[in-house]
Amino acid sequence: MHAAERTPIVVSGIGITASIGQGRRDFTAALLAGEHRFAAMRRPGRQKPPAADDVAAPFIGAEIADLRMPDAIAAAKLRNLSWSAQVALATLHEAWEDAGLDGVDPRRIGLIVGGSNVQQRELALSQAKYQDRVEFLRPTHAMTFMDTDLCGVCSEVFGIRGLAITVGGASASGQLAAIQAIEAVRSGQVDVCIALGALMDLSFFECQAFRSLGAMGSDRFAREPALACRPFDRDRDGFIFGEACGAIVIRRAADATRTPYAELKGWAMAWDANRNPNPSLEGETAVIRGALAMAGLLADAIDYVNPHGTASVVGDETELAALRACGLDRAYINATKSLVGHGLSAAGMVELIAVMLQMQAGRLHPSRNLDNPIDAGFRWVGATAIDHVVERALNMSMGFGGINTAICLQRG
Amino acid sequence: MTLEEIFATIVGHTRDILPGLDDHAFQFTDSLRELGANSIDRSEVVMLTLESLSLKAPMIEFAKAENMGELATLLHARL
Repeated sequence: MHAAERTPIVVSGIGITASIGQGRRDFTAALLAGEHRFAAMRRPGRQKPPAADDVAAPFIGAEIADLRMPDAIAAAKLRNLSWSAQVALATLHEAWEDAGLDGVDPRRIGLIVGGSNVQQRELALSQAKYQDRVEFLRPTHAMTFMDTDLCGVCSEVFGIRGLAITVGGASASGQLAAIQAIEAVRSGQVDVCIALGALMDLSFFECQAFRSLGAMGSDRFAREPALACRPFDRDRDGFIFGEACGAIVIRRAADATRTPYAELKGWAMAWDANRNPNPSLEGETAVIRGALAMAGLLADAIDYVNPHGTASVVGDETELAALRACGLDRAYINATKSLVGHGLSAAGMVELIAVMLQMQAGRLHPSRNLDNPIDAGFRWVGATAIDHVVERALNMSMGFGGINTAICLQRG
Repeated sequence: MTLEEIFATIVGHTRDILPGLDDHAFQFTDSLRELGANSIDRSEVVMLTLESLSLKAPMIEFAKAENMGELATLLHARL
């Protein structure tokens, strides 16, 4: 189908919670100011139990300091909520209010939660607590251990009756949720679909494994957390985790009751037929070209790229090679993860939101620690924010197991 | 532990699980169900009480209790 023949699909509500700020206003201000909260992580279950023979540095990450729970949700006095579920509720509430969904038929509203195995820290804490007295394990563990508890909790609080499912695509889960939500609206399954990138709640088990795998930094900046997260810089040594959650409300442009943030013009997903973490130039170029073709745009029309950019040694180089191969080396580019860290399941959604909030602000956020870009030929936004009104952007996500996604947006 | 102490433990966990009962004067004849506890709430109250008493016993033994007093009595008999 030609791009012009499709019903325009737009984003009409945004909710965002990240280490640097909760809510669109605070998050945008922090983003444009280049703020960060990278430090040795302190949330219970994030660091290995102390051992005399362990000389490894603590895991570095960016954690949410204080979650503000909206009164309407606090009043419901929900029990046994995981950290991921609490953050999802607060974030979804903002998006819901923003889009004004109270009057919409609940049977025509859907929710797609991006992420799988997102409650790992809660599970690790529970297993440690009841290891020697499993008889006393809380019965509700049987319902809360499943990621779909987020669907249950959110659908109950907001009265969603059309659809509520999780989708998993590793670090592309957030963007995958957006793509599936677009398709749910486009197919007529629902009229409104909320896509949520769930907070990936890592325990020290996953941190240890990511570090052993060579995916998570930072050995190089172990005692200098502020310098550890540095996508596309020559001294990068892996991703740095960041707690985050984002939600967007997707609907047909004709149904939107407010000026949309952006129109979702094109999207693509490609798999590499590769179970491993390594990136694929072929897969990445396929989704870039696919999203552009669907949008009916040439590369020249894209004036801003929000890359996946994790600070993976091979991943960053592959991504720039893919962008160059597709003629996208002349658009502005920055690295959202340099400010908020890698949200894993949330990342694709948080970055999609970062694109739209920058569109709205008419500014592009700085990239932290980009002291020596691995490829100086790109149009980097460096240490300070710049004025630029984004008209058309491309946002990328990739994940372990060979998933690649891309979404093309046009300013609303 | 006395029957009254066990009852007080059940009351404490009931208040944790069911909001809005802070001012309720609990009686042995109170029914968790009638106080608004669904089956999941009731299983949580029983499990938290078993944990507080360090009593390893199958939950099913306590399902036949008709009210909070009977629940306390069944727990007391297992100590």
